[in-house]
Amino acid sequence: MRRPKALAVISSVLVVGVGLAGCTSGSSSSGSSKSAGGTQKVTLTVATFNEFGYEELIKEYMTLNPEVTVQQKKAATSNEARDNLNTRLAAGSGLSDIEAIEVDWLPELLQFPDKFVDLKSDSVKDRWLPWKAAQATTADGKLIGYGTDIGPEAICYRADLFKAAGLPSDRAAVAALIGSTWDSYFAAARQFQAKSKVPWTESSGAIYQAMINQVKNAYEKDDGTVIATDNPEVKAIYDTVLKASDDGLTARLAQWSDDWTSSFQKDGFATMVCPGWMLGVIEGNAAKVAGWDVADTFPGGGGNWGGSFLTVPTQGAHPDQAKKLADWLTAPEQQIKAFKAKGTFPSQQAALTSPDLLGVTKPFFNDAPTGQILANRAKAVTVAPFKGPKYFAINDAMQQALSRVDVDKTDDAASSWAKFVTAVKALG
Amino acid sequence: MTSSTLAGGLAGPGAAKHAERRRGRAKVPGTRPGWVTYSIMGVVLILSAYPLYYAFLLGSSDAQTIAQNPLPSLLPRGNFGANVQRVISADIRFWRALANSAVIAVLTSLSVVFFSTLAGYSFSKLRFRGRGPLLVFVIATMAVPTQLSIVPLFIVMSKLGWTGRVEAVIVPAMVTAFGVFWMTQYLESALPFELIEAARVDGCSMIRTFWHVALPAARPAAAMLGLFTFIGSWTAFFWPFIVLGSSNPTLPVAVQLLQASYFKDYSLILAGVTVSALPLIVVFFFAGRQLVAGVMAGAVKG
Amino acid sequence: MSVSSASPEVVDSSRMPDPRRSAFRRKLSRWDVKVSPYLFISPFFVLFFVAGLFPLVYTFWVSLHDWNLIGGQGDFVGTKNYTYVLQQPLFWKGLRNTFSIFLLSGVTQTLAALVLAAVLNQNIRAKSFWRMGVLLPYVVAPVAVGVIFNKMFADKSGLINTLIDKVGLGPVGWHADVLSSHIAIATMVNFRWTGYVTLIFLAAMQAIPREIYEAAVVDGASRLRQFVSITVPMLRPTIIFVVITATIGGLQIFDEPRVFDQAGQGGADRQWMTVTMYIYELGWGSQKSFGRAAAVSWILFLVIIAVGIINFLITRRISSGSAKAPARAVRVVEGRTR
Repeated sequence: MRRPKALAVISSVLVVGVGLAGCTSGSSSSGSSKSAGGTQKVTLTVATFNEFGYEELIKEYMTLNPEVTVQQKKAATSNEARDNLNTRLAAGSGLSDIEAIEVDWLPELLQFPDKFVDLKSDSVKDRWLPWKAAQATTADGKLIGYGTDIGPEAICYRADLFKAAGLPSDRAAVAALIGSTWDSYFAAARQFQAKSKVPWTESSGAIYQAMINQVKNAYEKDDGTVIATDNPEVKAIYDTVLKASDDGLTARLAQWSDDWTSSFQKDGFATMVCPGWMLGVIEGNAAKVAGWDVADTFPGGGGNWGGSFLTVPTQGAHPDQAKKLADWLTAPEQQIKAFKAKGTFPSQQAALTSPDLLGVTKPFFNDAPTGQILANRAKAVTVAPFKGPKYFAINDAMQQALSRVDVDKTDDAASSWAKFVTAVKALG
Repeated sequence: MTSSTLAGGLAGPGAAKHAERRRGRAKVPGTRPGWVTYSIMGVVLILSAYPLYYAFLLGSSDAQTIAQNPLPSLLPRGNFGANVQRVISADIRFWRALANSAVIAVLTSLSVVFFSTLAGYSFSKLRFRGRGPLLVFVIATMAVPTQLSIVPLFIVMSKLGWTGRVEAVIVPAMVTAFGVFWMTQYLESALPFELIEAARVDGCSMIRTFWHVALPAARPAAAMLGLFTFIGSWTAFFWPFIVLGSSNPTLPVAVQLLQASYFKDYSLILAGVTVSALPLIVVFFFAGRQLVAGVMAGAVKG
Repeated sequence: MSVSSASPEVVDSSRMPDPRRSAFRRKLSRWDVKVSPYLFISPFFVLFFVAGLFPLVYTFWVSLHDWNLIGGQGDFVGTKNYTYVLQQPLFWKGLRNTFSIFLLSGVTQTLAALVLAAVLNQNIRAKSFWRMGVLLPYVVAPVAVGVIFNKMFADKSGLINTLIDKVGLGPVGWHADVLSSHIAIATMVNFRWTGYVTLIFLAAMQAIPREIYEAAVVDGASRLRQFVSITVPMLRPTIIFVVITATIGGLQIFDEPRVFDQAGQGGADRQWMTVTMYIYELGWGSQKSFGRAAAVSWILFLVIIAVGIINFLITRRISSGSAKAPARAVRVVEGRTR
């Protein structure tokens, strides 16, 4: 008869399932237990995203500190990690002992510094580039994050296209041509454009980003008052960038879009603002394209795009152990090891003089000494822009305003600016 | 009543001949459909299979080729096995993710089918006070946007101590409003009252009536509900990501980790996507056989 | 075919010789009948109280406060969040986009699925293969769907624009124009869900007695006639079900518009931002305003209920006219077997 058989099948599946569910419940988070020797055994969790290069480092730490077990919890993208962090902050529980964050998240996290442990200590004094440490420091001097990597920007260019346009193509000469001011940058761009059908760069958004990062108080005053819509500097940069696009200097692409990715293979543009982590992207997207090189210069002196920190949330059960681990992970020696594993560019001053770093060259980029170039660019960063709680909301609105005119062509410069003003007012 | 009367009351000698001719042209259910049907189905199948095939094509290629030719060739390039190897050996806990996904999907679908059919049987065939408003309430719960429920749900799971455990994914999904609504309206027309009464007359209690009469009658719909729930559970990403994370992942969470780098190697990612979808095809096969017509056809006459 | 609707008590007592035991049995049976319905529906409600009600109440509570996602509960502001949201042009844009995409996808899906299910309902060879084939798009992960459709719909280098260009027509701004983006996203949605709806209809078609079709065939009805006069009317409850669930789901579309571009915000001018995307942006994006996001959630909930009711009434009105035909057919069939 079918009935008992069906019943038997279903109940056995349920039993097995519940049993398996018990087995597959995964490892518990932060726990501690006494080992035979009497020292407290501690388990620490480290939450990261993308590629921090910590796999071997974690093993090394566990060998050096046998009473500590370290587990890494990875998220694929920084957006996912951010959603995860925010959910657990909002719920008040569930955070790892160490949470990696990105510099873009800091303005809003700095509004709630009591959620993070003050990591200030003598052992890390002057460890990082000053502008890097400043990003994670509150107004009253509390340090909530230890810097890991940064994204110092140089200019990547297509030497072959430069040559075809009658311009110098070796990197020293190109660096001299582009110069170190925005005026010389745009002059070089127009020089190139006069002799080439290929657009100078891919997107107006990237130029805007580079320029606005060199303004100390672009969108907000130090006390947080929003000045974005009235700040003449912002409007000036907006107009300059859109004019450049109008003059044909950009390929009018949206970064990271499908069109942008395929343009690498189609001579879509000749130069690009290039943080360290972009080198891998170019190499992947422009596979089999010859002619890429890196020029050791950046208009306005220096620029940085991106970068991460390790924080210790106060939710965690072992803040002191976590602080010790974070200290060790972000020490210059360890960061160099991570750099060798995954290419994350160090933010520690001592690391920038390491021969391991300075000796790095990239064959794809015509054997450019990218280690040296990026170290120079990192030191050339002077301005640490003030980023208050509304910074990124306003910046997003601005990037969309540029896109509307440049990529989508739904608006002209004036009407797009008007929409930007409305969007900024709506944030209030 | 004869058929010719039904045909419109035609009388006369020509009527019989006319009826025969029309009979011949009309297709009797049971005969094989023609090439038109098969070509429509063929086109539909090609369109349906295209996304998965495309994922397989890219998954059998490599990053360099994809960068150069975004539009794939029609035939796979033979790298699939190598890419799958990379997927399995990547630091994503592939086998644990596969096991978790299987356990979660099986338990969730069995539970949803059972409890939804139970509730659906109740709402459609049983009389009780508050039936109407309660059913409307069930349907209304589907209208609540879920984007924000993540935070309160996480709080609940935290308090229960279930974060990082598969219970946190299974329990909230054990019976769904969609399932209840679906089984209610299906049993409404597919389960004749006479069958229920026959069972009651024979002395069956309510639960036994349900088991012997309602469940078999619900078979095609129950199979489809089980299939949909299984697939939904297997492919769910956001909630398992938030509550389980990478240490105890489900398959979509694990495969997503293949994207963890600035330059995304789509041959690897899409190989992972294809591998995730393959077990579902097996489930398809079993569910499809349950789409059987007229289960109750003979029962009523008896 | 005759079944007496004799009550269980009569039958029971004729079997049981002991009157006391039969009285107890009768009581048990009555209790069984009274309580079982509530017992049967209780799993749903119990689970809902644990996993569904708390989030609902919590979200409502949040919407009445100034609530930062990270900072937590702020001041009580009553309806300020609601009035703020209703004054935002972005909210109305989101509503416009949502309705547009919903209409473009919902109507197409339902009609196509109905026809497809009828085609698959026939006596074809290798039934499972063809029938399950339509569900293949449903199993592909969103990341792959995003990759595939972005390659098709990219504004400059996409497959569709390349083909259109070859034919001589201008390129379509899939990511720039409002309506074009809606069509592209509706295509993605239809791709994913049409097979699903087809199988819902197919399952329901299995419940239509074969005899009705046979009778119709004997009377000389063509296949089209059978479809229109038998299948569609007998599927009326299922069609209503599909319309309601498609409305509820369609007004909450989130995944497809999100993967339509890298930023996931619905376009620089919010050309394809849906209301659920707006909720996500308000709550998880740069504003982190949980309170405002919760307010939009509740407004959307009310909109969905209202539209759901409207759609239900429309569908019921449209298909009520032809409800008589199947009833007649059933009587005919029954008459014949007597």
